Amino acid sequence: MRSRRTLAVLLLLLVMLLAACGGGTTPETTDESGEGATTEETATDEEAATDEEAMTDEEAATDEEAATDEEAATDEEAATDEEAMSEDEGMMDVASLGGSLAMDNELLSLKADGCDYGGYFESIEATDANTVVFTMCKPDPAFEAKVAFEGFGIQPMEHLMKAGSDGSLLENPIGTGPYKLDSWNRGESVILTANEDYWGEAPADPTLVFRWAEEGATRLLELQSGQVDQIAFLSPDDFETVEADANLQLVPNLNPNIFYLGMTNTFEPFDNPDVRKAIAMGIDRQRLVDNFYPEGSEVADYFTPCSIPNGCEGDAWYDFNAEDAKTMLAEAGYPDGFETAIYYRDVFRVYLPEPPLVAVELQTQLKENLGITAEIIPMESGPFLEEVSAGRIEGFYLLGWGADYPHPTNFLDYHFSKDNPQFGDPFPEIYEKLTEAAQLASAEEAAPLYAEANNAIRELVPMVPIAHGAAADAAGASVQNAHTRPFGAILGRIVDSPDDTFVYMQSAEPISLYCGDETDGETFRVCGQIVDSLLAYGLDSGDTEPSLAEECVGNEDGTEWTCNLRQGVVFHDGSAFDANDVVMSYAIGLDAANSLHAAAEAGGAGNSGAFEYWSYLWGLMNAPEESE
Amino acid sequence: MSTATVEEPTVAKIGSNVKAESLWAVTMRRFFKQRNAIVGTIILLILVLTAIFAPYIAPYDPIQVLIGVEDVSRREKPCVHLLGCDPEKSQHLMGIDGNVRDQFSRIVYGSRYSLLIGFTTVSFAIIIGTILGAIAGYAGGITEDVIMRMMDVLLAFPSLLLAIAIVAVLGPGLQNTLLAVGIVTIPQYARIVRSSVLSVKEQEYVEASRALGASPFHILRKRILPNSLTPLIVAATLGIATAILDAAALSFLGFGAQPPAPEWGAMLGTERGQIFSAPHLVFFPGIAISLTVLAFNLLGDGLRDALDPRLKGK
Repeated sequence: MRSRRTLAVLLLLLVMLLAACGGGTTPETTDESGEGATTEETATDEEAATDEEAMTDEEAATDEEAATDEEAATDEEAATDEEAMSEDEGMMDVASLGGSLAMDNELLSLKADGCDYGGYFESIEATDANTVVFTMCKPDPAFEAKVAFEGFGIQPMEHLMKAGSDGSLLENPIGTGPYKLDSWNRGESVILTANEDYWGEAPADPTLVFRWAEEGATRLLELQSGQVDQIAFLSPDDFETVEADANLQLVPNLNPNIFYLGMTNTFEPFDNPDVRKAIAMGIDRQRLVDNFYPEGSEVADYFTPCSIPNGCEGDAWYDFNAEDAKTMLAEAGYPDGFETAIYYRDVFRVYLPEPPLVAVELQTQLKENLGITAEIIPMESGPFLEEVSAGRIEGFYLLGWGADYPHPTNFLDYHFSKDNPQFGDPFPEIYEKLTEAAQLASAEEAAPLYAEANNAIRELVPMVPIAHGAAADAAGASVQNAHTRPFGAILGRIVDSPDDTFVYMQSAEPISLYCGDETDGETFRVCGQIVDSLLAYGLDSGDTEPSLAEECVGNEDGTEWTCNLRQGVVFHDGSAFDANDVVMSYAIGLDAANSLHAAAEAGGAGNSGAFEYWSYLWGLMNAPEESE
Repeated sequence: MSTATVEEPTVAKIGSNVKAESLWAVTMRRFFKQRNAIVGTIILLILVLTAIFAPYIAPYDPIQVLIGVEDVSRREKPCVHLLGCDPEKSQHLMGIDGNVRDQFSRIVYGSRYSLLIGFTTVSFAIIIGTILGAIAGYAGGITEDVIMRMMDVLLAFPSLLLAIAIVAVLGPGLQNTLLAVGIVTIPQYARIVRSSVLSVKEQEYVEASRALGASPFHILRKRILPNSLTPLIVAATLGIATAILDAAALSFLGFGAQPPAPEWGAMLGTERGQIFSAPHLVFFPGIAISLTVLAFNLLGDGLRDALDPRLKGK
């Protein structure tokens, strides 16, 4: 009896404990104010972060627009009643963000403290509601190409300040694009619906769905079974299958790219230039391209593809010569090779269609040609990129790059700038020439400098350029205007699916939906439908076209660009687009002292907080000095 | 007189019968009466011979890339001369893999990995499991509680998930896979040994041994453990099949044997995307794994039936 009583008491205690635990979590997960919850809680709380929560809230208006943004105006009148309501709030908040952002006479401006910080922008100012002036520290011939990049999309100032500070910006983008976010079903799909107020031509299909599957075979199977309308990155072995199938169409991917074998010169033996040079000569790149890349791929003789102006200046890469390579490696002190590792991420890319097989092929070649024993280590994509970016990979790594805009700076300056530690200690012989070349508006004048930079890359071998991959999407034969673009994401709005819902299957889920702090194509592809940049790339070229800016006009020496904004454009939340939105969007990306220029975990708007594209394309203002 | 002459041969006959029918002989006789067990044994025998004589059976080095060596292309289908393949082409019984290597040679060498994984992990698990189970069963009390609750904790996790977690912590690789698969299979052997010890330790012959002053170690080794052997053998045989399967799953997921090792699970994992375009690259490693697991399962079932005293005479 006694033991039974004890058991009963214990059970009761257990039940109470469980109840207490359960009760404790409830208020946190349903906390809507956000005040009581930490950023992390808010960020992970799907209900708090998505529109659905607001929609299910009985107190919230049933009006969808109201549900999408609590703070934004609840109707169009309030929205177009410009800054009346939000100005005071905005002014106060802008000051609280810190950094170089200032509000003067209802117009935002971002001013660097001089140009000594090394970046491109001296200031970005909203001179009136529809004009933004970019004052440059140095001329940038690629200015228009850069501002068209999807990572520099414009979102409403108020939304950036609110959603940026509570972490919800990562999954709740508000743009002016042809589609707006309906839902993001994690692990499954992102559903977008047509923006009825889109400033351009209305989307052909009212619904655009993004799905993903890592395996090329799975994607093809989904396409063949009619579950999706277009798939990204057809496996090289499936080209023939698609071409032979009357129900399918091959959609060539025209994006210039490079696949390279990276090394970090801060680790032995890669700190020895002769070792790196021996490796450069000891890899049979033609064999790799012939056997592991689809037709149309090329061996890379330069880091930048030749389709980019000035991409192929200077001397071509070393010819394969195993004997000379082995001799050189022996002279460098490694007659029997050495032991190392090959790191890669198992993600399909145009430049690297089958990473595990290419890794094994390189492992084989390194062993056969140079006596180097390399262990193969696959990594998760996120940590892999993080390790590479920080220059912490001790061994070889397989990585590549797809063009964002048609200029050598997109390939060379990102990888070989003095701020990028991915190949270890940066090489002044390379980045000094690149910095000089990047300031020349004339491609002809810049050519000799790019030749010198390419020759320095060849001599110093920070990496081994291997291939420019050819790739293709595939689509159902009945899908009209199925396409890819050389630069930028697909234009979902022009694709016409027979059932009015265009389903695109890519190879991975977007990492977040705030592209200002992302670098991967899967994320940009989704963001590109929702958020517009100042300019846009053409359908089949890298030429820029008007987008949110009707034009961006540079002065004679290219030190000042004035962008005249499109008028009458409204965001998905109904608020009006103006110059302050542009300045705020740029300030978060560019100004490291801005409190929103940080990872969501640290109270900022970003995902990782790295804002890589802003950093390498423009240079960050107020960046903390690197500690030795 | 006549009575005596009649009885003598009877006694002799009974004596000779007892001598001939040892436990081993009975077990073998009953084992080979089962067709399934014979099939399992034959498959296993072929597997073992293949593993031993792999260098003589495989026409190529399993990691040799044939680019530039032969006129073959990536993921080429099997070429068997007897089945009408062009005699001028070199014969590749199971085709060419994604890295242009002979698939048959890799399958042949892969048998070494499977057997190594099966026997090593089960041996490791049996040794540790037996020690723990014997201590728990014999010592009883708090020792038993601590050991068996630890085993319960291990058993509470799905074995493959636990193995993945262990490899995720230790890092991918064959050695860590062996360790992980070994660890997750310890509890089943510990339980078997413990229950055997519990059922035997109060037997009179054990009491007698104790009364004669035998040490606990001696009693365990000489009196108790031999009686636990039967269920242990059966569990081990079946456990090898599970271990091979778990290790193949880990390799499939990229946690196990690393390239260029010709491990069946890894081969399957690398080419899993080619199930429609190059099915032979998925089919043959899959069949190899299935046959091996089937062989051990049949063998285990046969041994169980043969060693089970309740089925005596059936």
